[in-house]
Amino acid sequence: MKRILTVDDSASMRQMVSFTLCKAGYEVTEAVDGKDGLAKVEGDKFDLIITDLNMPNVDGIQLIASVRKTPGYSFVPILMLSTESQAEKKNAGRKAGATGWIVKPFNADQLVAVVQKLVK
Amino acid sequence: MSGSNNTTAASNLEKSGSDLHWLLRTTEDAINGLVNAFQDLAGNTETTLTLAAAIVDCVEDESVLSVLPGVRTLGIEARQFLGERLQATSGILETVTTEMELLHRLSTVTDGQARIALNINMLTVHTKIEVAHLGSVGTGFEYLARELADFSQALARNTKELASHTDDRRAATENTRHMLSVELPHLREELTRVEVNLSDDLAQLDAGLTKLSRMPEQFRMSAEGIAQQIAGVVVAVQGYDITRQQIEHVQEALEVISHQYLREDDAKARVSPETACAHAGLSIQSCQLDAIKATISEWKSQIRTCMESILRISASDIVGIGPLVLEQERSMSSQLSHIDFLERECQAYGEKIRTTTEGISGLSQLFTEHLRKSESARNRLRLLTFNSVIEASRLGAQADTICVVADGIAEVSAEWSKIAEQSGSTLEKILDLSKRISAVMATFSDASNEQLNSAQEQTKTGLESLRRASAFAVVQGQKIEGAIETMRARSGEIGRISDLLDACFGRIDEVLSDIEQVKRQLEADYPDVKEEYDAAEIEELFSASYTTQTERDVLRSAIYGTAFSAAQQCSTGNDVELF
Repeated sequence: MKRILTVDDSASMRQMVSFTLCKAGYEVTEAVDGKDGLAKVEGDKFDLIITDLNMPNVDGIQLIASVRKTPGYSFVPILMLSTESQAEKKNAGRKAGATGWIVKPFNADQLVAVVQKLVK
Repeated sequence: MSGSNNTTAASNLEKSGSDLHWLLRTTEDAINGLVNAFQDLAGNTETTLTLAAAIVDCVEDESVLSVLPGVRTLGIEARQFLGERLQATSGILETVTTEMELLHRLSTVTDGQARIALNINMLTVHTKIEVAHLGSVGTGFEYLARELADFSQALARNTKELASHTDDRRAATENTRHMLSVELPHLREELTRVEVNLSDDLAQLDAGLTKLSRMPEQFRMSAEGIAQQIAGVVVAVQGYDITRQQIEHVQEALEVISHQYLREDDAKARVSPETACAHAGLSIQSCQLDAIKATISEWKSQIRTCMESILRISASDIVGIGPLVLEQERSMSSQLSHIDFLERECQAYGEKIRTTTEGISGLSQLFTEHLRKSESARNRLRLLTFNSVIEASRLGAQADTICVVADGIAEVSAEWSKIAEQSGSTLEKILDLSKRISAVMATFSDASNEQLNSAQEQTKTGLESLRRASAFAVVQGQKIEGAIETMRARSGEIGRISDLLDACFGRIDEVLSDIEQVKRQLEADYPDVKEEYDAAEIEELFSASYTTQTERDVLRSAIYGTAFSAAQQCSTGNDVELF
């Protein structure tokens, strides 16, 4: 079973991501912010990461940059899930190493389809 | 505006900020409760769908739907079965009515035969007298007289027997005719009633099975409907997170305004840039809160509608799948028992007709015997005529009176031939009618039910499949009911949480009212407060923390008066943009 890490400071968002992906047959681990997410990445192996942008402690961009430096995570797909839709923010995400961007709220079917495509 | 007024305004804004903080904390808990209830609801819905899918699979595995053509064939066969029996009964009635006429004619013929037998008897007497006159010369005629006497007796006996048999047959035929004429309308009425019942059953069953055949499609649509509603809730819950962030931004802005722009030393006659900035900032927050209220109303309504739809589809369409199978099983059982009843009724009726017509069949043998005897009598009469002519010729002139007797015998013989022909023809017609009745009676035989029985067997096999599917549906249905009960209980909890959210978000109106009050106070103290700010500076200042396009649009609308539609949130969710 493919493993996915969802990082968001909002409990309800984490639950919605987990609910959607678990229903689609994935194993989902939740992290409450960037710091927690990074700790989980360093101690475990995930096939895909979905992270929020604005979070306390370590934000999404910093998290992506750190994850990319973590051994074994150079090519792991990372999706940014944020309320932000500004081009400069997306560019920052892309530069940090994000694979894609989703503006909240996400469409469950679309998310599952993209995850299926990325972790295939 | 005095320094104390500014302090009061700042304090009011701090209170509003605290209200928003309380609102966020309380709604966070409520939303988490709602999400848990939703996940439970979705889990039970999943269970319900799995159980219903098993019923649909079972119906398909048991090939229940293939029963439909068999049931239709059964309907056709049952109607044919009824039609044939009604036609046969009508045919028998028609035949026995015709036979009654023939028997009447036969009686007339039998009267003629009796008359001929009497004439022959008289001829016998004459012959005996003439033989006595002739003495030793008439020995040849003596033999003729004895033959004539024997024949006369045999003929009288046969004619009497035929008359008696005709009477018996007439009685038996009349009995049959009477029975049929009394029973046929009753049978027709009864069978018509059964046929109507059968038609109703078939129509019902046909409609039911057609409905059953649509079950997989109906199930698929229900499952799709539920999936859509679940996706709707997923999007709506995210709406909460978006508005949470927006409220946090308003809260932060109020804090900045109260701490940085409404300072105590701002007690000047003219409006300061800070106060103007505070007023503009409050206008922006007011607009933000209005937009947030509209978005909250939108996602709350979506959550409620979607959850209600999930419960409605699960509790009606999905729950209905089990009873639908059960209903078809009952309907088919009822139809088969109707047909069984109909068959028994028809067989009993056929037995009654068979018993009655047996009386006619028994007499047919006797009539065949009469035909043979009539033929034999004709031949014997011809022989007697021939002998009498020879004897008369041999006696020559002495036998004038004998010639009269011989002529009499010839006359009777000719008359008998004519009568025998008539009775023979009538008897043959009667025997032909008997054969026709026997042939028609075959309609009521067991062999004639073969096609109906085969269709019944096929339907019974289908019924067995349906019974198995139905038994499975009952068990699954109970489990579905259990899941639905849990969902209903959860639905109550969801309703309570929704009410709590309504109450919590009602605080936004209080905050809005407080902000408007502070704004009005500033406008009263500084009439030109609305004009004394730098729009670009205000935009930069307050948009720094914004994370959504909606917030930016609202800000621009508040500062520059640009158009903004409150209903911004996407109800179906956004797509993924891959880099």
